[in-house]
Amino acid sequence: MENHVELDNVSKFYETGRRLHALHEVSFGVEEGEFVSIVGPSGCGKSTLLKIIAGLDTPSSGEVKFRGGAISEPHSKISLVFQAFGLFPWRTVLENVEYGLEMQKVPKKERRRQAREYLGMVGLAGYDHMYPKQLSGGMRQRVGIARALAVEPEVVLMDEAFSAIDEVTAEVLRDEVADIHKQTGKTFVLVTHNLSEAIELADKVVVLSSRPAKVKKIIPVSLDRPRDRTHTMFVHMHRDILHLLKEELENTFIRHKLKGISELQSIHDMEAAGTTRNLSRTKGEVTT
Amino acid sequence: MSVEKQKALALSLTDGFLSGDRLGSYLWVFPLLLCFVVWEAVTRAGLVPSSRLPTFSSVLIVFFASIQSEPFLLRICHSFMNLICGLLLAFSVALPLAFFAGSKNRFDLTFTPIIMLFGALPDLSFLPLLVLWFGAGNASAVIMASLAGFFPIYFTVREGTKNIPHELFDVTAIFKSDRLSTFTKMVLPAISPHLFSGLRLAYDFAWEIIIAIEIATRVAGIGDFIDGNVASGSLQSGFAAIFAIAIVAIVVDRAFFGSLESWTRRWA
Repeated sequence: MENHVELDNVSKFYETGRRLHALHEVSFGVEEGEFVSIVGPSGCGKSTLLKIIAGLDTPSSGEVKFRGGAISEPHSKISLVFQAFGLFPWRTVLENVEYGLEMQKVPKKERRRQAREYLGMVGLAGYDHMYPKQLSGGMRQRVGIARALAVEPEVVLMDEAFSAIDEVTAEVLRDEVADIHKQTGKTFVLVTHNLSEAIELADKVVVLSSRPAKVKKIIPVSLDRPRDRTHTMFVHMHRDILHLLKEELENTFIRHKLKGISELQSIHDMEAAGTTRNLSRTKGEVTT
Repeated sequence: MSVEKQKALALSLTDGFLSGDRLGSYLWVFPLLLCFVVWEAVTRAGLVPSSRLPTFSSVLIVFFASIQSEPFLLRICHSFMNLICGLLLAFSVALPLAFFAGSKNRFDLTFTPIIMLFGALPDLSFLPLLVLWFGAGNASAVIMASLAGFFPIYFTVREGTKNIPHELFDVTAIFKSDRLSTFTKMVLPAISPHLFSGLRLAYDFAWEIIIAIEIATRVAGIGDFIDGNVASGSLQSGFAAIFAIAIVAIVVDRAFFGSLESWTRRWA
């Protein structure tokens, strides 16, 4: 079966000042209707990866394909739920949900109807005329989810969508997202640093390494839904992923340390050779 | 006027005072009345010569007569039109520049220091040059008013643009907004609280400049009217004109800017 979304050797470098290697040949596929979670050490480039899938950023090499076609800009069938909600404070709840449809030039009456339908789906029927500032964090994210769904995307991307919400509300919202996934059969890609969340929602978890991020492991999750966090398999899986990530952090640590040692070693060598006076000039060459 | 609009107007008229507290929102009337009473008493008692300060009641009589006289109203309109033209000019130049400065760092670093330098100069110091170039007339008045209005609009809008969360640009991109919609439906509303306070400041500054120019260069507005009447000894007319300016300035400030700001206060 052809993948719905496919990442093919996606690499990303940033050239602002120092060259930063964010992603290194990341490849994996997402099947239609699948829920994929992406986890990785903090700062590894998870969000960059999601931005590239969303078409908000372009890869330095490799490509992201949606239904076989390369993505170079946001696609109308791929929607995004933002970490800090990304709502327009001057628009009411209803107007925020309508926004995507408005940009697609859907007639006002039709987009009202559609927006109300999705507000109902996220449990915000009757909040139409409230402004975002009048809502709690959890409710704001519900608006964010309704807005992402209202454009009837095939793929819903979620960027740390539950991380700016208190834990109890986030728990409820995760259950609802799981329901929406089940009901709509849409493809979901969630970036998160919360391992339990990743396992609870996903059909498979993509574990990334520390920077530059590579795919370290892809772990299928075959537990029955709704998922029980105290289930032995769940606990084991959580422990395994945690172990992988800890390993990554240790690797990074050792790498930094080794780099430090090699620099010290080269200084030592130069001192031994009596070249200390030229240290500032030669150090660059020796350590590279 | 619809009920909604009347309510909005009423709200805007009382904002800045103790809104919600019905009696509280009219407390400011009492010290004002006290001032007028003291003024009347002092002048009637002859403590201040009438060639320096006329009685309050005589000013009121002249005021009510003046606002029914066409030349007087025309002079106010004249000043007001110069002011509005100046502000429109300031707005149309400052808005795009400030928007670029707020979004393009290189542009900001290149031009904002120069604009700051000019902003630090007292605006009126340019007046003799403007009169030399454009003559002592409406053109100079309009340009001066636009100069006065430019800086507050430029700096507030630049600040507002810099403060737009980057995430909102991603939102417009994800939902495939074109450049025009991004500007009208995201950038403009996002900077509107800054823009409104900039416009309000610009309006206040421009009034001062307009009156000063009219007095200095005899442009036939209400400033010139005050100057002429005070010089020829008809102090009542001078005061009546000051009252009229105060009323126009305050009503526009409250009704226009007040309602704009009450819109932003609903969501910001």
